[in-house]
Amino acid sequence: MTERERLLEKYSARVYKNRKDHIVQLEETLDPRSIAANTRAIPGVMTARGCCYAGCKGVVVGPLKDVAVITHGPVGCGFYSWGTRRNKAKPDEHTDKNFVPYCFSTDMQESDIVFGGEKKLEKAIEEAVALFHPTCIMICTTCPIGLIGDDVQAVARRTEEKYGIKAIGYSCEGYKGVSQSGGHHIANNGLMKYVIGTGDKQPKTKFSVNILGEYNIGGDGWEESRILKRCGIEVVNMFTGDASYESLKSAHLAGLNLVMCHRSINYIAEMMKTKYGVDWLKVNFIGVGATVKSLREVAKYFGDAELSARVEDVIADETAAVYDDVEYYKSRLTGKTAGIFSGGSRSHHYQTLLADFGMETVIAGYEFAHRDDYEGREIIPQIKEDADNKNIESITVEPDSEFYRTKYSPEEIVALKDGEYGIELDDYGGMFPEMDDGDVVVDDYNHFETDELIRLMKPDIFLSGIKDKYSIQKAGVSSRQIHSYDYSGPYAGFRGAVNFGRDLTMALYTNAWAFVTPPWKHEPMLEGRIGE
Amino acid sequence: MNGKQSPNLVNLDVNPCKMCMPMGAVTAFYGIRGAMTILHGSQGCATYIRRHMATHYNEPVDVASSSLTEQGTVFGGEANLLKGLSNLIALYRPEVIGVCTTCLAETIGEDVPAITRRFLEAHPDCEAKIITVASPGYGGTQNEGFFASLRAIAEQTVVPSPPNGKVNIITPQLSPADTRFLKSFLAESGLDCILLPDLSENLDGATEKRYQRLKSGGTPIEEIGKMAGARMTLEFSEFPRDGQSPGAFLRDKFGVPLTHLPLPVGLRGTDALADAIASLGGAVPAEHKKARGRYLDAMVDGHKYTSKARAAVFGDPDFVLAVTRLCCENGVLPAVTATGSVSPALRDALRSEISDCAEYLFADETVILDDCDFSEIERACSDMGVNVMLGSGDARRAAARLGIPLIRCAFPIHDRVGGQRVRTLGFGGSLSLLDQTANAMLELTEHGYRGEMYGRFYLADEDDDARSDAPENTSAPAATKSAAARTDSHPCFGENACENARVHLPVAPACNIQCNYCVRGYDCANESRPGVTKGILTPGEALIRYQKLKESVPNLTVAGIAGPGDALANFAETRETLRLIRGYDADVTFCVSTNGLMLPQYAAELIALGVSHVTVTVNAVDPEIGAKVYKYVDYMGTRYDGAAGAAILLANQLAGIRILADAGVVVKVNCVALKGVNDAHIPYITKTAAKLGAYMTNIMPHIPVESSAFGSLDRLTAAEIDALRDECGADIRQMRHCRQCRADAAGRIGHDVTAADAVPEPESATSERLYAVATRGGTLVDTHLGKADAFYIYSSDGAKTRYVETRKVSRYCSGECGETEDKWTVLLRAVGDCDAVISSQAGESPSRRLGECGIRVINSREKVETAVAKAASELLIKF
Repeated sequence: MTERERLLEKYSARVYKNRKDHIVQLEETLDPRSIAANTRAIPGVMTARGCCYAGCKGVVVGPLKDVAVITHGPVGCGFYSWGTRRNKAKPDEHTDKNFVPYCFSTDMQESDIVFGGEKKLEKAIEEAVALFHPTCIMICTTCPIGLIGDDVQAVARRTEEKYGIKAIGYSCEGYKGVSQSGGHHIANNGLMKYVIGTGDKQPKTKFSVNILGEYNIGGDGWEESRILKRCGIEVVNMFTGDASYESLKSAHLAGLNLVMCHRSINYIAEMMKTKYGVDWLKVNFIGVGATVKSLREVAKYFGDAELSARVEDVIADETAAVYDDVEYYKSRLTGKTAGIFSGGSRSHHYQTLLADFGMETVIAGYEFAHRDDYEGREIIPQIKEDADNKNIESITVEPDSEFYRTKYSPEEIVALKDGEYGIELDDYGGMFPEMDDGDVVVDDYNHFETDELIRLMKPDIFLSGIKDKYSIQKAGVSSRQIHSYDYSGPYAGFRGAVNFGRDLTMALYTNAWAFVTPPWKHEPMLEGRIGE
Repeated sequence: MNGKQSPNLVNLDVNPCKMCMPMGAVTAFYGIRGAMTILHGSQGCATYIRRHMATHYNEPVDVASSSLTEQGTVFGGEANLLKGLSNLIALYRPEVIGVCTTCLAETIGEDVPAITRRFLEAHPDCEAKIITVASPGYGGTQNEGFFASLRAIAEQTVVPSPPNGKVNIITPQLSPADTRFLKSFLAESGLDCILLPDLSENLDGATEKRYQRLKSGGTPIEEIGKMAGARMTLEFSEFPRDGQSPGAFLRDKFGVPLTHLPLPVGLRGTDALADAIASLGGAVPAEHKKARGRYLDAMVDGHKYTSKARAAVFGDPDFVLAVTRLCCENGVLPAVTATGSVSPALRDALRSEISDCAEYLFADETVILDDCDFSEIERACSDMGVNVMLGSGDARRAAARLGIPLIRCAFPIHDRVGGQRVRTLGFGGSLSLLDQTANAMLELTEHGYRGEMYGRFYLADEDDDARSDAPENTSAPAATKSAAARTDSHPCFGENACENARVHLPVAPACNIQCNYCVRGYDCANESRPGVTKGILTPGEALIRYQKLKESVPNLTVAGIAGPGDALANFAETRETLRLIRGYDADVTFCVSTNGLMLPQYAAELIALGVSHVTVTVNAVDPEIGAKVYKYVDYMGTRYDGAAGAAILLANQLAGIRILADAGVVVKVNCVALKGVNDAHIPYITKTAAKLGAYMTNIMPHIPVESSAFGSLDRLTAAEIDALRDECGADIRQMRHCRQCRADAAGRIGHDVTAADAVPEPESATSERLYAVATRGGTLVDTHLGKADAFYIYSSDGAKTRYVETRKVSRYCSGECGETEDKWTVLLRAVGDCDAVISSQAGESPSRRLGECGIRVINSREKVETAVAKAASELLIKF
């Protein structure tokens, strides 16, 4: 009996029917490797998922430092998304604006729900303008707003007329879609419609990139920028870590889009390709090996001998600088196994970093990924739209008459992607290809499955979030928060890899564990069966 | 005492000081054995609340969700809730399920009790007790949510019971550690209690052999059922809301007597609990009496320090009132008390509590806020001079901005570990709060006290050393006779040389450093400050300009190069300009201004060119401070920033000044005083300058320029600058008549002529003018011109009148010159740049003499602003 079967065995028939397609144990014969994803969570099983508002406000637009993001709704949602993601930002040199440490809410009361909250929202905006002088205001709605019919888009339009600033309304009520993913999409649409393409600030240098899906958690984006800058590559924008509305306006003028978190931002990558001809490249700056590979691909894309030489110099220098540390931590970590449950990309990215230290990932799961994040983008045409997906607006864009330009012809792009050293241009292969037989992959994991898989697969460390952290530790297994890094980080790039190695070594070798033994080490596993 | 700070700004909540009802509703169920909760709404509510509670308690927190989607929102969420209930039961077999609503469920009007009934009808074998709670996010704060759950648990569980001699204990949200204290205290006192809720275990679990997701701590639901048989209910809340108090329900429905008690915090709170126990026939443990004695002892020990505290207490109403009482008992002024809840009752209670304390602490004003956010609390703390905050970790950003300590003693604490172990109750908890407050004050004192003593005693000795060194060094320039003569006639260096003119030749556009206060600009005639010029001249043009000016301004004796960049960063131009002018005018005094970066390299050439006066701008003699002033330094082809850049610059400045001084060049050290950046450091700069042999220093107020990095920095007032000059004057001669000229200034200081043709600069009719007002108090024009020892300077364009600064009428030379200035010179220096002097009366002679200088004298006895505005509009018409 496989671990997957033993896990599913515990479920009632109805839940079994739902969950069996979301849990895959990889094996050679399983071809095509396939999984169910982006469907409704089962009520009552304690999914790790958040809501549409969390994806829109919490993840994508919240980190914009010069934007006053006003949560329109009762106070809770604004409060809970206040500074909880560790998306670091430093105030812009010129404007000195950084609203990231602030929480703005309309704090709706019962009477506002009954009589409507538009007036209150407009007054709140008036106060925000008077007190903070933002150049851009974004309004994010919570559950009741969609039901009482406040028109936040209209309020945004009136705000623009009245104050001459940019204002964008996002209808990202929590119940929309099946997870945060819907919120990402809504936020992507808004940035594409109203922000990107409205600026005219040209990049300063020949080789310029945006890093899409980099939220600068624990300073990851700053480490990535440091490395790229050394190579002579200008980072025009991060989407949206340490980002500003002012700067995003000119994102379309960058030479290339690098995509870190495919799930949360691929819409913008795709639309910018269509509208402005900017190619996108799936990169992974998590792990020494992965960073080296990504840097070379970026150099290959720009096709400049001098740049390639500089990239190689930087790679040689940086890898030499971290070599001793990485080797030491590797000697302590080799052979250990890990499980990773994260949102939508980290469970893939961190496998390469774990591999740098000789560790194997035996369990991996995403909260809110779609099938393409597991199986690769080639699966997209086969994904059936369901009612929940249709509720999230999907916008189409046309090539822009003024700004559309391409670096390469379609033939040249094929050539770039082709062959052994081809680059992953405008494409993403997903998580599956890099995982081994026997490994278990879980979509929309819940607490029950997390508990059971820890028991069944016995990983040495489990990388997950705050909601799982303490039950993992109570089960006697090391845990590391892979969303917020337990106040540590950065983990990206070369220096980040060393931080990660140090944190993992500390996690596994700390004295505390000497006094705590996981149950399976001293108790027989009564569930084992013979003769199967 | 006042209420809300900003009654007109109430629609935008900036940094909330509260959470929503579901948060509290869910927390309450953690005090019931084997309970789990399901939130009926979007799954985000459960996820957000789980992560917030887990981070505070450092414990797993499980809250299920009915995961409503758009379909459920439109067609009703019953199916989802039914599914959720059966899955929760199948996976975890909870003894109790709390079904709490959210914004979404309440807005779409879900009838949760009915859905639950239908669930039980369909699942007759269901063993779980299901309790429904109406907890919309917009219905109140987490405090109301917490009590809503307690009330619902009581209402849906308690059945008529025979008397059981027990005591019902109802608490607001307490930390597990506090609950453990309360529980054992009651047990040791011999009371048999039923706790609603008992949060002692489930949110502070131990590491055990096998982790159980279903919590075994908490009050069993059967026990709750027996609350009707208790002999008394003690409810630790002074703000029971109608319909929310479980104790009131038990009293009204079952006749259980109800006593409201304050939280047992501080002396009175804890004694009230002891009294209540005694009245119920319990016996407070002997150890408790000792603890009380120790607490009193600690109060005595700590009062020396706690009495310095001006506290802000914020959080749930019961917490705020209890901790405020503790503060008042210990001489801690509760300068700001605040809750995010709407609670007029708390405001009243606080007012009567605080007034006595405020009175004996001579505090005129304290602030009490309810329904407030952290932006209001922060503002109030700033206004009230609060020096310690007590409450949740959410104030960490405000505390950091205010630079004061925060004692984290309430939910939520997200930036520290140990939220589950926070103690506030009983003498143990009170002692913890008291000690933390006293220690916070000791830390403040220690910090300030040491610095003060160091400054007063240790540095004072150093000053003496510096002074004894000074004459030896500063005498160097005087040795060169010609230089001394030039100095006397130089309008900047010479103290009685105001009648002599100078020209700044803008030939040096580039700069090799970036100061954070500087924006070099061109062509703004209204702006008069260093770095500003109408245009750049070539050395040839500079010569022509000098020649023209010399014809029209005969007393032109000084040619200077003062940028707009740095003279030495454009040394080829500087050298050529000086060479050309020397060829035309052999007697000219050359003066060069520089940041000093290239001084060691070019000092010898400057001396050879006959430069007799050099001004070096030194804003710091500590690289760490320099790093704040200078953004970067470009030196020998490399850009250095931070302390590294500042260190290079500093080394070159010091070496350069020494070379020049040793060669007899008169060196003036300019110093831009930047409030909060280097103002405290300036005496060290002037001391250093004196030691190196500089002739004088010129401490200038920083002119904030909007687009510069220090654009929003406050400007030091004239009085502050004067005080600095007075202090530094002990070490080195001070320039006190600096006008911070433009890079292309020409003419006498304060009487510039324009660039090309030496015609007086036409003044723009719309520009603001300065007016000097002789007034004692600043409200009425009430002083005779001759008797004014200070002038209030106002600017006005006729429409808008604004106070600029106060200028003392002070004697210029106090001793060193040998003779004191006449009154006239002193007066002119104070008001020389004004368009008019407004006084109650003025003598004929000064009126005439001022008139000759283009300054009108106006007599008035009106309000200052009125008089200035009138004068301005009259003068505007005239122009």
